[in-house]
Amino acid sequence: MSARASRPNGILAEVGLARIAAVTATVVVAVALQSTVLARLTLLGVIPQLILVVVVCLAFTDGERVGVVTGFFGGLLQDLLLPQSITGLTALVYTLVAFAVGMFRIYAPQDSVLAPVFAVTVATAVAEFGYAAMAIMLGQPWVGLEFTIKVAGLVILYNTLLTPFVYPLVRRVANRYRPERVYRW
Amino acid sequence: MLLLAFVALSIAVVTLDFRQNSGGPIKRARDVTVTVVAPIQRGFTTVTRPVGSFFSSLAELTNLRGENERLKARLAQAEADADGLPQIEAENEELRRDLELKKSWRTMDSVLAPVISNSPSNYKWALVIGKGKRQGIRVDNAVMNSEGLVGKIIRVDRNYSTVLLLVDPAAAATARVGDLGDSGLVEGNGGGERLTLSSIDVTSDVSVGDEVVTLGRDQGIFPPGIEIGFVAEVGGSAAALERLITVEPSVDFKSLQFVTVLLETGDELQPKKKAK
Repeated sequence: MSARASRPNGILAEVGLARIAAVTATVVVAVALQSTVLARLTLLGVIPQLILVVVVCLAFTDGERVGVVTGFFGGLLQDLLLPQSITGLTALVYTLVAFAVGMFRIYAPQDSVLAPVFAVTVATAVAEFGYAAMAIMLGQPWVGLEFTIKVAGLVILYNTLLTPFVYPLVRRVANRYRPERVYRW
Repeated sequence: MLLLAFVALSIAVVTLDFRQNSGGPIKRARDVTVTVVAPIQRGFTTVTRPVGSFFSSLAELTNLRGENERLKARLAQAEADADGLPQIEAENEELRRDLELKKSWRTMDSVLAPVISNSPSNYKWALVIGKGKRQGIRVDNAVMNSEGLVGKIIRVDRNYSTVLLLVDPAAAATARVGDLGDSGLVEGNGGGERLTLSSIDVTSDVSVGDEVVTLGRDQGIFPPGIEIGFVAEVGGSAAALERLITVEPSVDFKSLQFVTVLLETGDELQPKKKAK
C-alpha cells in the first residue's frame, strides 16, 4: 500500500484527528480548571475566563477557521455547564470574537510577545460587555451595571495576566499537532 | 462561510433553548455534559484542594490558636446542651403535629455532599455537588450548611446534583425577620453582594442586626427557620410603599466545601395529621 493511499483525504486530512483530540483536550482541561481551581483562586471574587484565553490564543496561532470552531464548542461547553442561563449565547460571543482575532492577527507584528496579550485584552473586553448586553436583551436575570463593570474590568485584568503563561502552552499544542499542509494538484 | 454556519448554529441553539420546556435536546445535552465533565472536575478538586487548604491555612495561621480556643469552648457548651436534646426534639415534633406546623428541618433526613465544582461564569452562582438521585436527592430540595441557607437543587443526575446559590439573581426565598416579624422575599444580587429583602411593609419595625430566616409558609420549598442572614441596612422613605432592606448572608458562599441537602420538600413539609 502506498503512502498516499494510507493518508486520510478531504477535511480530516486538513484538520487532523490528532489535532481535534489535542484541541478538545485543551478546552476540556481549561473548563475543568476554570470551574475548580480558578473558581477558588479568584481575584476580588472574580473568576478568570480561561476558556476564552485558550480560544483567543488558538485563533491567534492558527487563524479564524480554527478559532471559530474552538470558540463555538468552547463557549457551548461553558453554556451547558451553566444552569438556568441562555444556552448558545457564550458560544455565539466566542465564535465572533475568535473570528475577529483570527482575521486581524495578520496585522500583528511577527513574533511579538505583546501581540497575543493585546489580542486577549481586547477580545475579553468585547466578549464580557457583548455577553452582558445580549443576556440583558434576551431577558436573563442580571446583576447591576456597577457589578457588571467591576466584573468585566477584573476579568480583563486577570485574563491579560494569564496570557503569558497560557499562550506558550497553547502554541506548543497547536504546533505539535498541526497537520502537514496538503497540496492538491 | 464557516463563520456564518457557526453563527447560525449558535442562534439555533439559543432559539431551541428558549422554546424547549422541561425536556428537550438542550436538557439532554446538559445532562450528558455534566455527566462527562463532573468526574474530571472531581479529579481536579481532589488533587488541588489540599494545596489550596495548605495556602489558606498559612494565611490564617495567626488566627488558628484563638479559633481553637473558641471552638473548644463552643464544643463544651454544645455537649452540655446536647444532653437533653433527644427528649426535647421528640416533644417538639409531637407538639408540631398537634399544632399542624411544618416539619422542622432539624429532624429531616439529610445528605452531606462534597462540592465538586463552581460555576465557570462570573454571572451565574451555582455548584455541582457529589451526591445525586442515588442518595435520594431531588429537584427543589433545600441546601444548607452549618451557617445557614445555601440554595436549592435545580438539577439532579445519578451521582451529581446542581445547586443554585441564594446569591444568584434568579434565586429567591420567602423569609421573615426575627421569630414573629414581617415576612418578605429575599433575592440574590450576585456573589459578594448583599441580598435584597423586598415586600416588607413601610410601617414594619425592622432594624439593623435583626435575624432573617426562611418563612416556609404555604407550598414554599424551604422549611421554616433556616438562617439566611442579618439585616445590614434599612432604607426607603416615608412616602415609599415598602422598605428597601439589604441582608448580609450568614453563609460564606466563596469557601463552600461541603453542604447538607435536606431530602424533603414542598408537600412533604406539610404536617401529617394524627389519626384520631
